[in-house]
Amino acid sequence: MKRYPRYRIPIGYMLLFAFFIVASGIWLFLLPQGLSETGSLNAALRQLGQSPAAKSWQQFVEIATPHLFAMGILIFIVAHFLLFSTRVPRYLSMRLTLWLYIAALADIFAYALIIAGIVTTGWIKLVTLAIFALLFLILFGMVAVSLLQ
Amino acid sequence: MKFLVSKDTAPTPLLRQLMIAVTIAMLLYLILDVLLHGYLIGLSPQAAAQTLYGNEEAFVEPILFESLLLQVHIDLFMALVSLLILVAIYLRMKHKERIRKGMLHTLFLAALGAPLLLVAAYFGGSFWLYGWVGAFYLWHLLALYVGVVALKRLIVS
Repeated sequence: MKRYPRYRIPIGYMLLFAFFIVASGIWLFLLPQGLSETGSLNAALRQLGQSPAAKSWQQFVEIATPHLFAMGILIFIVAHFLLFSTRVPRYLSMRLTLWLYIAALADIFAYALIIAGIVTTGWIKLVTLAIFALLFLILFGMVAVSLLQ
Repeated sequence: MKFLVSKDTAPTPLLRQLMIAVTIAMLLYLILDVLLHGYLIGLSPQAAAQTLYGNEEAFVEPILFESLLLQVHIDLFMALVSLLILVAIYLRMKHKERIRKGMLHTLFLAALGAPLLLVAAYFGGSFWLYGWVGAFYLWHLLALYVGVVALKRLIVS
């Protein structure tokens, strides 16, 4: 991003914003999973894994619809700054963004499998959420590394 | 937003027209966002305190934390997208001049701080609401300034 030094300010703050969006989203998701009652993150994660909170198809659609738009656009905005990067190889950013989109879709639709009764435990949601968060953090790191050049 | 810094698209009238239109939309969004938060939370520390903590005398129930966190989650996303668009156009239009870095830092910090201060006020007491009101007005005013400057440049150029 050497050629566009003044764009470092918005890109840097974008990373901070995106971090807090993901963090508040995870917090919001865990509240009905027992976090609001117990106040313990471990207990909420265990409860989600063993017996996830019951949701209707309407609740699923109400959550999935804005997230398909918002997560799709957020990944696009953050990842497209890698186009300016001379530090991150192009093949790496292409693979990461592809897997990030796959993880985002899996994360959004994991609860549909639980509602449909295809899976009875919430581990699938927990795993897809963890993979998505991890890949997003890697993306943050790659954009941050590109900013420092 | 790479297209906003690419030199190839500089003389394109379509891009100029699109940037004018999106800047006007963002300016209208900022004005209505203030009104929306006036209805949802309140624009003074007293009104916001009533929303957050309730008021027994007026039979106002306190807001559910889940609802507040959802609002914060949405606010962060909307602020990020609107500011990225406005600031990208602003920087594009001021590409030959010195930019006010301090103003941009203040804008982004206030926009990021406002929703976080609202969560702090929920747990930490009404003192934080003064910070929320200040940060909320500050980032909206600065964003409006950035939008108006960019729009002026777009129309004049």
